[in-house]
Amino acid sequence: MARRTYEWILPFLFTGGLILARYLFPSKMTFITEVALYSLYVMGNNILFGYLGYVSFGQPVYLSMGAYSAAIYLAYLGRSPLTAILVALLVGILVGVLMGPVLIRLRGSYFTLVNAAFCAIGLFTVERLLIGITRGNDGLWFRTRMVATPLLDIRQPKNFFFFAMFVLLVVFLLYRRMDRSVLGAAFKATQGNERRMQFMGYDTFKIRWLGFVLATVLSTLSGSLYAINFGFVNPNLGENSRAAEVIVATLLGGSGTVYGPFFGAITFLGIKEIVSQWITRWELLVGVLTIIVLFKFNRGVWGTFMDLLKRSRKTVVLQKKTP
Amino acid sequence: MSVWLSAVVYGLSTSAILFLVSIALSVGYGLMRIVNLEAMLYYSLGAYLTYTLVSATGSMWLGAFSGVLVGAALGFLVETQLLRRVYGKNMLFSMVTTFSVYLIGIGLIQYVWGLNPKPVASPTDTMLRFLGVAIPLYRVIIIGIAGITYIGFQLFLNRTIVGKAIRAGIENRDHVQALGINIYRIFTLTFVLASGLAGLGGALNAPLIMVGPYMGNDMLLYAFTTVILGGLGSLKGTFVSALILGQVISIGGTIWSPLSFVGPFFVMFTVLIFKPNGLFGVKGIAFGFDQ
Repeated sequence: MARRTYEWILPFLFTGGLILARYLFPSKMTFITEVALYSLYVMGNNILFGYLGYVSFGQPVYLSMGAYSAAIYLAYLGRSPLTAILVALLVGILVGVLMGPVLIRLRGSYFTLVNAAFCAIGLFTVERLLIGITRGNDGLWFRTRMVATPLLDIRQPKNFFFFAMFVLLVVFLLYRRMDRSVLGAAFKATQGNERRMQFMGYDTFKIRWLGFVLATVLSTLSGSLYAINFGFVNPNLGENSRAAEVIVATLLGGSGTVYGPFFGAITFLGIKEIVSQWITRWELLVGVLTIIVLFKFNRGVWGTFMDLLKRSRKTVVLQKKTP
Repeated sequence: MSVWLSAVVYGLSTSAILFLVSIALSVGYGLMRIVNLEAMLYYSLGAYLTYTLVSATGSMWLGAFSGVLVGAALGFLVETQLLRRVYGKNMLFSMVTTFSVYLIGIGLIQYVWGLNPKPVASPTDTMLRFLGVAIPLYRVIIIGIAGITYIGFQLFLNRTIVGKAIRAGIENRDHVQALGINIYRIFTLTFVLASGLAGLGGALNAPLIMVGPYMGNDMLLYAFTTVILGGLGSLKGTFVSALILGQVISIGGTIWSPLSFVGPFFVMFTVLIFKPNGLFGVKGIAFGFDQ
């Protein structure tokens, strides 16, 4: 019971922590903004990886899809960044709904690899096939075309920071709601034993489909925010070789938890930030890190923290009982 | 006409490389129930060693030989030290582990050889004339090597007792163990063999492409397309689908150049819709589907 009283405050606490960090380390603002955006992306992957038990080596394609749909909208069709985010969300829903039945039918390694193939096709599409629209490797620039948004002009990085925090908070609350609802339980139960779920009368295909749609939408949302933050996009975002990063981040934070992705994003980006001062390509590090986390630390940062908390609470209870 | 004939020969040499690299994945899937992503590391290493040895000694075959040796040795290390821990666990463990090993390897390759793609000289520039079409001798040699490998592997699997144990292991692991065969020794042997072949594939492919740190990424996709199309754990399926995909890449690329990249994936998607276990897949082996 004690848990309920403080639990709801955590999303506010974490977002507040980020805002506080922004004022404590003003030079690190871009980094903190990226933490928020990356968290959304990792949360999306967490639904697949942590809740449903799907490994996808194609997540960058959904990120890049969101970024490109926002960018193409801003560069050719409209000028409002907020509408661009809406467009990206719609694209995410559409892709999730349409691709879902095809991809979600596949299990285990098939899902992983077909997604990887999908990612390669996506990269190829933006890099070569639609080069007339996406400008290929030069990137698509649209910063000057954006108009000011009401209330908060998110074209400026310092305002965008607050916007990103706001989005993160909203997604946190929704994500927490999902975890506490029947849906979150249904995701995990489907991963655990699908037959039993079917026996209980749940349509597990629809549950997995919905999970896929949610994951896709979160990725495209994150992608569109990335695009607006940078003011341009290039195919780099959807590179195949970066597919492992988001899985590492999910593992690092603790998969299958509400706040794990957030800590995964902080830890992963933090390590990357520190290490990239010495080496530019961190494949080596990502690899070593994953193996260590997978074998020795597979509950992740948040999971380990919760374990410690539980253990300490147990000892407290024991102490109370023994006079 | 001559265009098509040379396209077919080029396609066959592509098939040869695909086949050599895919064996590692196919066997890893079929026998050990792991997704053997780091075979691509041996593939890249084979190519890089060939590059170094061709530059140093001028001998391509020495490079190929060392590629096989290093691939096999690394395969032995990884299998005994790391993969032993993931057998029987959830698929994501083997997938994430082997992918991490691959990433570590890529990082090391970048330290040793740098980021720039390296060209490798072909060991022979002789052109054969066949029906009025000039065909590079080197490609014919590659096709020959892959053919010999296929026959050799088939004979090994069908005629020797160890090969029969491997096949039995693909069918049912527990029963093989019940017969008193140490399945883990068989795993190691198969893994080492397959890793060596992946190294050979990389070494042979080196003169045909630019050797770069990310050469494994593209190959990973193609190799997996080959294995999935052919059916998991079936050597014959891998062979047939490598033949098909080589032609799709080569002839498709002749018709419209983007097809050489996306063609294989479309073939895979189409086949998967009608035959979810691939062309020669055996139900029950294709885990991931309900057994």
